[in-house]
Amino acid sequence: MISAIHPLLVRGWSSRAPLAAAFLAALAILSPASKAQTAATPASSKTAAPAHKHPAADPAPSAPVKTIGNHTAPITMEVFSDYQCPSCGNFYETTLRSMIQDYVASGKVYLVHHDFPLQMHNYSGQAARWANAAAMVGQFPEVDAALFDNQAKWTADGDLEKYVATGLSPANFKRVQAILKGCTGPAPTSKVDHTLPQPEAGCPVDPYIIQDIVLGTQVPVQATPTFVIHYKGQSYPASSGFITWPILKQFFDTLLSQ
Amino acid sequence: MTANETRGPLARTLLILGRLALAAIFLFAAYAKLKPQAAMRWSGSSIKTSLSLFAMQVDSYQLLPPQMVSPAAHFLPPFELFLGLWLFSGVLLRYASLTTTLLLSAFFAVMVRTYTAGLEINCGCFGPGERLGPLTLLRDGSLLALALAVTIGAFMLRRKRRHESAPVAGVSAPQRAD
Repeated sequence: MISAIHPLLVRGWSSRAPLAAAFLAALAILSPASKAQTAATPASSKTAAPAHKHPAADPAPSAPVKTIGNHTAPITMEVFSDYQCPSCGNFYETTLRSMIQDYVASGKVYLVHHDFPLQMHNYSGQAARWANAAAMVGQFPEVDAALFDNQAKWTADGDLEKYVATGLSPANFKRVQAILKGCTGPAPTSKVDHTLPQPEAGCPVDPYIIQDIVLGTQVPVQATPTFVIHYKGQSYPASSGFITWPILKQFFDTLLSQ
Repeated sequence: MTANETRGPLARTLLILGRLALAAIFLFAAYAKLKPQAAMRWSGSSIKTSLSLFAMQVDSYQLLPPQMVSPAAHFLPPFELFLGLWLFSGVLLRYASLTTTLLLSAFFAVMVRTYTAGLEINCGCFGPGERLGPLTLLRDGSLLALALAVTIGAFMLRRKRRHESAPVAGVSAPQRAD
């Protein structure tokens, strides 16, 4: 399952992949939701169409596609992010937004989002649930933007639902709400002691969040945002913190000129 | 043999060891920043890529405006290489160690400021992938102390040599490089 979803990442940290693959295989067997969605994942990740243009009217929710852009783009950038972390919000608003409008839109970069909700943040796990549910109905970019755009507001009042609704049509919002119907308990987050969180039975998005946390632990993600850039099958060392778009763009241009 | 006579060679040996340790550290720091990343081979392109990657680490400190980040990232590793070679040569050691102390002071001040501001970033001290934290601060603080000790030692040695080589009864002493 892991290699089907994240072939580039697994190639980058192949030495630790068997352990994670074993864990995720066990998780997939235990989780009825992920069992049903495993078959749909490779197809959605291999589609040539940009993820944000997936039809929103899919009859049944599929595995979350938390990507923006064309997967055939020469550069892939994987971002491990926490929706409640201020640096992540700043990074999205000032760097990723420009990147999406410029290099993702022009097919140079394929952006892959991974959830890495931190234990210290009250609502980041729940925000990740909303993002994953939206990604199941092909609305990830919209909810991703809505969450970061309103980060200060929902961090203050905890009312995620209100702000997620601003990024979706009423019909899609209802579908997302339906997916999260069984998610009533605490959302999974990464732990300070590196133990893995348990998915809530009946919450179909939790296994995907935990899967991202496992991947992040392999990198290893020590702070958010952390991002890994891949080019021509090679993975470059992970970087953490806020980077401005001109400097990130310069790195992309250096890679593309090789 | 007097205490002063035994202390002299010991101080000189410590000064040489400190100088060589600093030289090795700076040469390694430059190498770690310039070395090819992601299975590339040494080439102009690989160095350009490594420096662009280092620029992202410089940028993450949020200290310099974007237009200054790239020049700083392209200047620092070659300067560290130059400083490492200068320390290794031992030529004009007072000035080499003083430059090293000033550079390490600047690095340390920036790191302390970044850490106390709560920014969770990579240090970038010895290439990518090392988080800025108490251990990196302790290490760089120790390096700064070493550089300061070498600088003080180099100046004291110079002063001692001046005294020793001061003209006695009209006999002039040969000039030294440092």
